[in-house]
Order: sequence, then C-alpha cells, then structure tokens
Amino acid sequence: MADIFPVAFLYFLGAALLLLLPKGPARGSLGLLIPVLGGIMVWFLPEGLLWNVRFLGLELEFMRVDKLSRVFAVIFSIAAFLGNLYAWHVRDTMQQVAAMIYAGSAIGALFAGDLITLFLFWEGTAMASVFLIWARRTEGAYHTGMRYLIVQVGSGVLLLAGAALYHRETGSLTFEAMTLGSLATWFIFLAFGIKAAFPLLHNWLQDAYPAATVTGTVILSTFTTKLAIYALARGFAGTELLIYIGAIMTLFPIFYAVIENDLRRVLAYSLNNQLGFMVVGIGIGTELALNGAVAHAFAHILYKGLLFMSMGAVLFRTGTAKGSELGGLYKTMPLTMIFCVVGAASISGFPLFSGFVTKSLVLSASTKEQYYFIWFVLLFASAGVFHHSGIKIPYFAFFAHDSGLRPKEAPKHMLLAMGIAAALSIAIGVYPAPLYALLPFEVKYVNYTTPHVVTQLQLLFFSALAFAVLMRTHTYPPELKSVNLDTDWAYRRFLPRMINRVAPGLWSVWTAKLNFWQERFNDLVRSLHHTHGPEGRLASVWPTGSMVLWIAVLLAVTLVANFLSL
Amino acid sequence: MSQKRKEDPSEFSPLARLFLWADDPVKVNRMVYGLYAVCVLLFLADFVYLKTILVSAERIPGFYAIYGFVMCAALVICARMMRVVLKRPDRYYAPRDVESEPHPAADLDRIEHNG
Amino acid sequence: MAVEPAIEVTQIALTLKEQLPILQIVVPFVAAPLIVFFGSRSLTWPITFAASAISLWISVALLLQVADGGFISYQIGGWAPPLGIEYRVDAANAYLLVLISAISTVILPYARKSVASEVARRHHTLFYACYLLCFTGLMGVVITGDAFNIFVFVEISSLSTYALIAAGAGRDKRALTAAYDYLIMGTIGATFFVIGIGFLYMATGTLNLADIAERIAEHGGNRTIHAAFAFIIVGMGLKAAIYPMHLWLPAAYTYAPSAVSAFLAATATKAAIYVILRFVFSVFQPDFAFQSLALEFILMPLAVLAMFAASFIAVFQSDLKRMLAYSSVAQIGYMVLGITLLTQTGVTATIVHLFNHGITKAALFMGAGALALRAGSSFYDRIQGMGRTMPLTSAAIVIAGLSLIGVPGTAGFISKFVLVEAALDKGWWLVALLVVFSSLLAVVYVWRVFETLYLNAPAAGTIRQEAPLSMLIPLWIMALATIYFGFDTQLTLGAARTAAEGLLAGTTGMLK
Repeated sequence: MADIFPVAFLYFLGAALLLLLPKGPARGSLGLLIPVLGGIMVWFLPEGLLWNVRFLGLELEFMRVDKLSRVFAVIFSIAAFLGNLYAWHVRDTMQQVAAMIYAGSAIGALFAGDLITLFLFWEGTAMASVFLIWARRTEGAYHTGMRYLIVQVGSGVLLLAGAALYHRETGSLTFEAMTLGSLATWFIFLAFGIKAAFPLLHNWLQDAYPAATVTGTVILSTFTTKLAIYALARGFAGTELLIYIGAIMTLFPIFYAVIENDLRRVLAYSLNNQLGFMVVGIGIGTELALNGAVAHAFAHILYKGLLFMSMGAVLFRTGTAKGSELGGLYKTMPLTMIFCVVGAASISGFPLFSGFVTKSLVLSASTKEQYYFIWFVLLFASAGVFHHSGIKIPYFAFFAHDSGLRPKEAPKHMLLAMGIAAALSIAIGVYPAPLYALLPFEVKYVNYTTPHVVTQLQLLFFSALAFAVLMRTHTYPPELKSVNLDTDWAYRRFLPRMINRVAPGLWSVWTAKLNFWQERFNDLVRSLHHTHGPEGRLASVWPTGSMVLWIAVLLAVTLVANFLSL
Repeated sequence: MSQKRKEDPSEFSPLARLFLWADDPVKVNRMVYGLYAVCVLLFLADFVYLKTILVSAERIPGFYAIYGFVMCAALVICARMMRVVLKRPDRYYAPRDVESEPHPAADLDRIEHNG
Repeated sequence: MAVEPAIEVTQIALTLKEQLPILQIVVPFVAAPLIVFFGSRSLTWPITFAASAISLWISVALLLQVADGGFISYQIGGWAPPLGIEYRVDAANAYLLVLISAISTVILPYARKSVASEVARRHHTLFYACYLLCFTGLMGVVITGDAFNIFVFVEISSLSTYALIAAGAGRDKRALTAAYDYLIMGTIGATFFVIGIGFLYMATGTLNLADIAERIAEHGGNRTIHAAFAFIIVGMGLKAAIYPMHLWLPAAYTYAPSAVSAFLAATATKAAIYVILRFVFSVFQPDFAFQSLALEFILMPLAVLAMFAASFIAVFQSDLKRMLAYSSVAQIGYMVLGITLLTQTGVTATIVHLFNHGITKAALFMGAGALALRAGSSFYDRIQGMGRTMPLTSAAIVIAGLSLIGVPGTAGFISKFVLVEAALDKGWWLVALLVVFSSLLAVVYVWRVFETLYLNAPAAGTIRQEAPLSMLIPLWIMALATIYFGFDTQLTLGAARTAAEGLLAGTTGMLK
C-alpha cells in the first residue's frame, strides 16, 4: 500500500502550492482541485489501517479508514470544495492557506487511529482556523480570535493530558470506544465537549463565528464542531450522559437565537442547537440513533453552510448582517433569498428537504429507546429551529420592513456554491437512499409515511402560525441593536472586573508582606555586611552581596537536609 | 422613504417581481388568511388517516399542531422576558468585540443594484 | 573497543586513535596562545575555526567509539590513576563533547560578522583566544575523570568567560558590572566546589572519580561525604544557574556579545549540569542520592519554581536577549527536574534536553544577535516589525521559538515529552501537569516575540536589510536542526538513553 498516503498531506501540499501560484484564478482553481482529488481519494480508499509511522516509540496511525470516518471525510471534502468555491473572489493569501490547512487537519483528524495523531490534527484545526478570524484585521477580531484560540488550544491540552493518562491506565493509545469513569476519559470527554460546544462550554462558538470574514465563517461552520461530533461518536457512543447534555444543547440556544440581532450569530446559536440533536443520537447509541447522528451531521453541514453562505452574501453586499439594519433585500437579491429559504426549509425539516429525512432518525430512536421526555424536548427544539432559523433569518433579512438597501445580487461564484448546496439538500430530502448507503450501519427506516409527513407539517405550520400571530399582535421581540449576555460574560466581563477589583488589594497586601520580610532580610544582610564586609556600606556591591547570601542560605539548607537524611 | 416610492418595480429581475406581494399589505393579509386555512386543514387531516402511536401524547387529536403552536409562543415570550435581563448596548464589550465595529471594507464588495 | 588501562605496566599509546582524548583538549588549548603569538588579525579567525572543527571531528570519533555503552580511559603521561590524571570518555560525556564542539563550530562563522560589529577590532585576537580557552575549559570539564582537574578546567572556562562577557562593554558599559558579578559568583561557586572536593579527598584519599566512587561504594557515606555532596551540588548549581542561584546569568547573557551569549547559553550551563549528573549518579552511589532528601525536597521544588518564576519574569521582559536569558533559567529547571526524578527516563530527559535546548537557544541567541546587528539593540521597541525587513532571520526565530515552547515536530517537544513521561512513570502526575502548564508560559513569552516581529510597524532608524549570509547560514543550520531533531530522535534520544543507562548503573559505570 505504498501509494496510499494521508489525505491531510494532500491539503498541506495544496497549501504550500498556493503560495507559489499568483493570486487569482490559478489559486482559486487549485483550491477547488485539491478537495476534488481528496474526495476521490477518500471515496476509493479501502478500509483498514493504511499508513503509519513510528515516532518516539509510538505507533502513529494516520489512516484508519472505516465507514464512520469515510462518511465524515466525504462531507468534509464536499464542504471544503463549496467553501473554496464560495471564496473564489478572495485574494488574501492568509485566508486561503489557513482554509486549506484547516480542512486538511480536520480530515486528518477523522482518519487518526490513535489519540496522539488525533491531538496533532486537533491542534492543527485550532491553529489554522483562528487565522480565518484574524483575517478580518480589526482590533475586535484580534481579541475574539485570541479568546477562540485559548479555548481551542485548551481543548487540545486536555486531550493530550487525557491521552497521556489513558496510556498510563490502559497501555494503549488507540482511539476507540471508551467508557467514562477514569480521570483520563473525563479529560478526553471534556476536550471533545469543548469543541462540540456543550452547554456552558459553548460560547466560543457564538463569540467567534460572526467575527470571521465573510468566507471565513462559512468554512469555520463546517469543520471544528462536526469533528467533535465524529470524535464523540467514535469514543463515547452510548454514553447516557450525552443524551441529557444534547437535550439541553438543543434547548437553550433557541431562546438566544430569538433575541439575537446579528443574523450570523443567530445561525451560530442554531448550529449549537443542531449539534444537540447529533449529541443526543450519539448518547442513545443504538444503530438507528448513530445513523441518525451521522446522517444529520452530513445534511447539517450542507444546509448550515448554505445559510451561512446566504447571510455572508448579504454581508458581502451590504456591509452588515444585523437584523435591525436589513430588510426588503428580496427585491434585488432574489436568488440569494431563494437559496436561503431552501436552507431554512432544510434545517426546519420540511418534507422533501434534507433535515426531514435525517432528524427523524434521531427522534424515532429516542422513542424506540423510550426516552419520552427527551422526545418532547427534541420536538420542541425542532419547532424552535423552524422559528428562528426557518422563519426569522429569511424574514428579517429579505422581507420585514424595507431597509431601503438595494444591493446587487451576490456574485456568480457565491450563487453557484449556494446553488450546489441547495440542490444537494433537496436531493437528500427527496431521495435519501445514497446517503443512507454511506452510513455506518444498515438503515431500515421509511421516512415518507402519511403520519410522519402530516405530523411534521402540522408542527411546522402551527409554529408558523404562532409566528404570524405574534408578529401581528406585535408581541414578537423586534430586532434591536444590542448584545445579549451569555456565559462569555463570565470571562469577558466578570473575571476581568474581579481581577481589577481584587488585584490592587491583593497586591498591596502582598507588597506589604513582601516589604516586611524584605526589610527583615535586608536588615539581616546589612548587619552581616556591617560586621563581616569591610565595604559593606557601599551600595554598589548590594546585588552581588544578596546573591552570595542566597548561596549561603542554600548551602546551609542542603547541608541540613543531607545530615537529616543520614 | 420618499426615494423608495419613486422606485420602478420593473427594474427588478423577473424573479424578484414574483415576490412583490410582500410589500402590499392587502396581499400579505391574504397570505396570512391562506396560512390560517392551511392550518385548519392540517388539523382536520389528523382525523382521516390511521395513526401509529409511539408516544401516548400522540393520541390527542392534533397533538403536533397544538404542541408546535403553544411551545413556539412560549419560546418567544420567554425569550422576550430573557431580553429584559440579558440585553446590553452593542458597545458593551467594545473595543474587544466585533459587534461595535463596522465590517472591514476590504472583505466586502458593496455594489448597489444597477449601480 | 575501550583501551584497557594497564594497572602496573605503563602503556604508551601510539596510534592517533588512541590519542584522541588528549587531542580533544590539546588542540584548542594550544591554538589559543598561537593566536596571540601570531598576533595577526587575518589568521585569528581561521585558526579558531580550525581548532573548533578539529575538536568536533575528534568528539564525533569518540562518540562513535563509545556509543555502544563502553568507555575509553586515557592516562595522561602514562601515569595510572589514582596518581595520574585520567580522561574518561563514556556515552554521557562524549555526547556533551559533540554538543559543545558542534555548537562552537556552527557559531564561529556567525561570530565573525557579529563580533566585528560588537567588539573593537584591536581586541579581536584576545577575544578569540579567550573564546578558545573557554571552549577548552568546557571540553575539559566534560572529558576529565579527575575531580581536581574538573576544578581546574572550570576555572579556565570561567576566567575566560569573564573576559568574554566584559568584551560586550564596547556596546554597553553594563557588561563590565555583569562580568564583575559573574566573577564574584563564579569564584564562590568554584570555591564551594573545590571545598567539596577537599572533603572528598579527606574522606577517600583520592581525586580520581572512579576511585572515589569505589571507596564510597565500599565504605558507605559519612558526614564528611555528605558535606562534600552539599558543597558540590551548590557550587556546581551556581555555575549551572539553578534557581535561585541564577542571578548572575540574565545580566551576563544580555550584555555579552551576541556570539558569546549564543555559545554560553548553549554550552556553559550544560557542562555544569553534566558535572552534577556525573557526581550525583557516578561518584556518589545512586543509593546515596536516593536517600538524600536534598534532591527531592530542595532541588525539585527549586526546579519547579524556576520553571514558573523565571518564565513569569521572561514574560514581562522588554529586551529579547534578557527574555531568552530568563527562559534559559526556566529551561534549566526542566533539566534539574529530570535529575531529581532519579529514574532512567528522567535522566534521559535531562540529557536530551541538554542537547535540544542547546541548539534551540543557540538559534534564538543568534537570531537576537542578527536583529541587534540591524536594529542597534535587541529591545522589543527596536526590533519590532522586523519580520518584514528581515524575513529570513525572523522565520528562523519563529522556528526556534516553537521549539522553545515544545510544539510537536520540533526538538523541544521531544525532551518535554520524555520529561512528562518520566514524571508520569514515577507517578508524579502533578509535576507532569506543572511541566505542561509552564509550557503555556513559554507560549506567552514566545508569542510576544512573534507579535513584536510581525504585528507591529518597524521602528524608525533601523537598517532595513536582511542579516549577512555568514550569519544567516549558521542561524538556519541551528533552526533546521531543531526541526530535524524533532523528527529524527535516533541520534539524540538514542545516545541519551545509553548515557542515562550508564549513569544510572551508578558505580558500575565507573568501576572496572
């Protein structure tokens, strides 16, 4: 198998080649070619452990191919292709290289057969992706990127610590199904949880994604969180705790999404909510549920990318993505609007759109395993998703009150990227069999039954009804220029404030204590000098003198310790 | 606003003209009544097919409809109340936040329609 | 393989191969006065470089002879120990010999331009003579098997180091106080060391390390020997700049000429660490070291303290060279930590970090010197934005900086990895965590450098020109070495394992 090499290297090679090519179509074409080549390679790879390297006495498996990693790699390749197509107009080397390395690292992590390789690529995604935020090149973006990087690298450090402990406990570094219990597995679980945006660990996502560039957000939305979903599916399938974590994840972001003004941040909240569905599926852990989680991740990458692309196009043409500033754009951006509606219909799970055929796998798994309460929560979350992503996003951007903005339609390459994503979303919704064939387990599930279609339509139309009634009675919260507090308040506001308040106090106590002891110490040294050193009064030898004293003290302590141990 | 009045809808693409009803309050009203009608029909549809009951709540006629409506209304009202506590001016985290700064022009391509 | 020393009959070594241990010292030692004797500035540098290169060749030849775990014993003048002086080469010190001579040989081409810009021309002959003496001293400390001889070589290297640091006075007068401080401190350290040796002589009646080890093994420890242990550890700890005996180091490295900083940072403290290793594991029995509270309860906390305290200080520095100096103190903490673990993996970590940190720091100090050449000094506000005006130098600094942090794929990662592994093996997972956390501090101070170089506009009045090729090539050799040794661990880790095995075998490594 000498001709097989890690797919990630193809992307890294692509990133290096990008630097050699002139800015413009040549680079754009390479950006499209690499995901295509990578995709073909992923498609035809045989299963098994295909490529490894010995390093520090560890066997690093770079290419573990099985159905689970392959299906994720396929959708990552498609997403990389669409993201680069969408970014065709970008002439910024930093973003292009970062996007390439980011996609390569994410795919590399999918094929990692051991925890160390996983860690390497895990950190690779963190390091590369932050440049998509910094590429905005403003002060706010710099600080946001820093926060993002600290969280992401923190996740990597936890993963490494967990891997080291895991190696100690089990003697193995293979990345396989684990059970929570030991410190090691908790560390790894937490590392995954940070990237998967578990409740309370989630806020980096909403903080960072709207801060990236127009194209950067589209690329960011694909990889990091879904990589974490993959890692959870591989490592912690069937962990019951995940069901409850996932249920909370589907719930709380929808409240925030309703009152959030920045439409790209609304999408970030709804992304968080969609991850919840996948986490629940992984937590249930049956074949049906895992299929559901994976299929949902697949469909999700497409429609969420599509939604981010449409909002990106609006931002690209108007300079803002805030609901309070937008409205009435359908007049001049009708295609973008239609693609956005397709994305909205998909995420809401309208029959004939992709969300319908994937989300239902998770929902029906929850009833089969008799998690009825969870089922109620997920049903509520589905209705809520329709409310904020399905209606709010297209409505406030393209309809609502006329903002007077008359931007030109999005550029052709963006429309093409959105068109492909939209077509795929509909294709999956109409004919899910090819997607089902890719899933890790055999699918014996029929989507299009009368009850399923009717009940889903009831749920959605009555949600729409609620929206219409609330709008007409002016109960619906208007879009306002504002930010809403979330857990990031703790480290962006509370902690710095506390430090500012407590630090001076602590500092004065510290210096007072320090001064006290320093005085005593100085007195001691001074008296020693006075009696022992002829030039003791000279200030110039002070530093040397104190150094010498340190040595004397140390020698004394060492001697005592030695004698004690005799 | 006055500028908008002078706008000639025929400048828009044929596709966009299909949606011009959205600016006409009468037609929007018609659409909303249409929505009401669809909802009534869907509710009634619940009585004409054989249900497969997995969760006992599904026995309630129009369960999905009622659940969807009530929960969504509750969602919006709760969110609205949350706003009282959580809302802050958009310069709250400035300058260490992108919310308060304009999106850099270098990343954009702002072109007016027909401009 | 090893030349068996005859006990009764004095064996005269005849072949060149057998004379290698003494040539290792004699070549640079003779070259130093030669430079002064010729007095010609045009010959100075070539002679220095030739001496260093020959030393490198000899040390590699020696390492190859002992790489399988044997040792070479060379008796000076044919006088058998304990009467005569013995040079004893095993994997541990052959490894160090290669490190020191290789770094010297790479730094010298760099030094030519750097020294020309920082030291007055009329001092060049004496400067290089001192450099060779310092080099000889360090090599001698490592190669000799005689306790008193170690002291002599320590003094040779120290005295010449004082002069080398003072040579920075042309640029900044504070070099003189730095040299003076170091002189006081170094002298005290050496005095403690010689007192320790005196105690050992008193207790065992011999100065040969192997003999001392043998006697201690036979008779066990007593108060005198314990006192000797304390004096030697503290004395050498001072030369090694173990926290808090590091106070001389930051000023010395900051104000010394850049080439000297690079050379000293990469080699001088490493030689002292080697002596500590040698004494702790070979001379005193390992059992003795195990029993001693000094290592676990004094040196270990100090090492951890160094990792944090010095790193914190480094974070707040505004001068690149000073920052690097404090980071050295922190890195020495890692090496000492490896020793205090008293396990084979721990000692391996120390030895491999000696090497990896040596090349990393050499690259960084060379980079700092190159920046200072164009910017006038290495203060952050002078070198800011030089990522654009000196892209090659800055890129090399970035690579070495990553290695300093311990990013996977660089040499720094290997040693930290082994150290963490050693701590975990011993069950000190808290210590392992601390190592990881202190690396985060390295991220901060290295990041500040990156930020200064790349995210700020260049300062006014700096020369916007890349460093000369004679400086860039050695710099890049070192920078690429940090990457190379991040992947090929056979040479570094392999040799370090053999060396640690030999050291941990305790007296058996020393006795026949």
